[in-house]
Amino acid sequence: MSGQTEGFRMKKQYDIVIVGSGAGGGTVARALIPLAKKGLKIAILEQGPHYPHSYFTQREIEMMRLFRYNGAWPVQSGEITIAAGQGVGGSTLMYTGVSFRLPRIVLDQWQIPGLTFDDLTTRFEQIEQEIHVILPSDKMVNDNNHLFQKGCQNLGWPVKRIPLNIKQCEQVGFCNLGCDSGSKQGTLEVQIPEAVSAGIDLIPNCDVCRISEKKINATLKKAPQGTIEGPWKPGEIIIDASIIVLAAGSPCTPGLLLKSGFQETLPWIGRDITLHPAMTLYGVYPKPIINYRGFPKTFYTDKFTDSHHYYIETAFYYPFVATRHLGIWGKGLSETMSVYNQLMTVLVLNHDTIMPQNRITLNRKGEIQVNYQLSKEIISSLCHAQIQSARIFFAAGCERVIMPCASPQVIYRNKGDLKTLEKRIHPKNFIPITTPVSSAHPQGGCAMGEQTHRSVTNAWGQVHGYPWLYVADASLFPKSAHVNPYLTIMALADRVGEHIVNTVINL
Amino acid sequence: MYRCQYLKGHRLNTILAAADCIVPAHNYLENAGTLKTIGVMDHAIAQMPASLRLQFLTFISIVHVLGIFFGGRWFFNNLQSDQIRQLQWMERSSIRAFRMGFLGLKSYICMGYFTRETTWKKIHYWGPLKYDQPPPDPIIRQLCQDKLKVFA
Repeated sequence: MSGQTEGFRMKKQYDIVIVGSGAGGGTVARALIPLAKKGLKIAILEQGPHYPHSYFTQREIEMMRLFRYNGAWPVQSGEITIAAGQGVGGSTLMYTGVSFRLPRIVLDQWQIPGLTFDDLTTRFEQIEQEIHVILPSDKMVNDNNHLFQKGCQNLGWPVKRIPLNIKQCEQVGFCNLGCDSGSKQGTLEVQIPEAVSAGIDLIPNCDVCRISEKKINATLKKAPQGTIEGPWKPGEIIIDASIIVLAAGSPCTPGLLLKSGFQETLPWIGRDITLHPAMTLYGVYPKPIINYRGFPKTFYTDKFTDSHHYYIETAFYYPFVATRHLGIWGKGLSETMSVYNQLMTVLVLNHDTIMPQNRITLNRKGEIQVNYQLSKEIISSLCHAQIQSARIFFAAGCERVIMPCASPQVIYRNKGDLKTLEKRIHPKNFIPITTPVSSAHPQGGCAMGEQTHRSVTNAWGQVHGYPWLYVADASLFPKSAHVNPYLTIMALADRVGEHIVNTVINL
Repeated sequence: MYRCQYLKGHRLNTILAAADCIVPAHNYLENAGTLKTIGVMDHAIAQMPASLRLQFLTFISIVHVLGIFFGGRWFFNNLQSDQIRQLQWMERSSIRAFRMGFLGLKSYICMGYFTRETTWKKIHYWGPLKYDQPPPDPIIRQLCQDKLKVFA
């Protein structure tokens, strides 16, 4: 690395710069370690701070800062809020460690020439070892998860264990507020430390404003109190880099390309996005259960994935966030929250399809804007999911359930038969913005493909027409991954890293 | 002592009344419309980007004025049944801005109430296991622990 100050702007030179340090950026950095060992200068630029474990206080109001827009980045229509991490580790900072492999049927639908199931399987196996993916043991299953298992079994539905990347987990239940023990094996714990040990520079608080031919314009912010400071002083900076890898996540990677003017040659930037629209649903069990302590997620059912396009997973959230999910207020909210320790919770995850009107653009101020509207099909699927979730809750023994698309929203056990549920939970009760729908898995915007006018990168994440520019995050997905996407992002990022290594070695 | 920067005058009274509608008292749970809730909210509002803060404060003023159409008086002077009717109308309004505004109002009230430790005890939530971990923001910690007296 060489550096100098030009006027008020600092200048740096690198061989390779990675923008973003989440599942994609961290994995690319790790894959580039052989090049770092050969003496190439590599840096990871992260927009957010570098949090030490001691920063994670297990308090939701204090940890909202780990998320962009405090965890509620609204799409332009306001119908969905996006939760995305902001800090070294990206969204692996505050995810639950769910590590599904991309289903073969989904890969077949993606139809990316050169991206084969065998190639991905080899990478999945390797990454699963590196990030310690396990199936949770019985000891990790708390009451909330047990009840989900019981409910599904009573209904005769398949119930499966969720693969998780954790190591010596203390099961305190604060995964989504940052793991203070370091048990969750996200990129903050595994790939980034390895990359830094190999000599790769990590630059937190670095906001990349624009990229151009082998050049990055960025602003370095002051490190917030209590976070780990980076090596450079705050201010504006220009970085020359022979290769740039964008791994800022969807929607930020396509947004950065739009801000930088690449849409003139690549009209597909920002298109083909999906969000995995999700609803968190609640039932009230007749007596206190262990719900907010213990590991939040251990089971799921795929009963309705083929027929109605959603998974139901276990989940549990903290009091304030729970009030956002519940979608009720007044007496119903007070009644429900007064028995917080009796709540049973599930997360419904719809795998949406790409729609031409759903895309990432820039608003009049030049800020990234996610344009997304829930289709009738998604709303219908989410209502179906509420009916089936209510059945799980009642089959598990809950006395009442709260369903945002029911009228009225609280349904008691004695009225919990299927016919009544189908009558009361109906798409006509869905009110955009008011009915709580969220997303933690934005995907697409820089789709892989062969045709320049219908995609942004090739199957190796290399941007069409710009051999020095790569994408390595969920933006690459040409369609929804159906399942939680982190392992797939890591596998694709590993491919990007391999392609860069081979390209550089062959030069 | 914490002195509110933004929630004063008609906005303070509007939020106090709205908070009692959003989270009314139930069993051991007290109603949310107290200065303790206001303190947490005001501090959070101070952290908002300026443009968003302006929108939010304007919306509170709109709630205040629209009370006239639902009970003949300012929002906080209306009967609670009229206040609830007004909030329900906003929540289900065909005008997107009202639904967005109501969602923001409800979220901030719930934040001001359900992140406080006295509320945690009432809902049987025992909070962090590492209770004394140093706070990134000491003021919000003290407000949530009711250690700062709030003045509007």
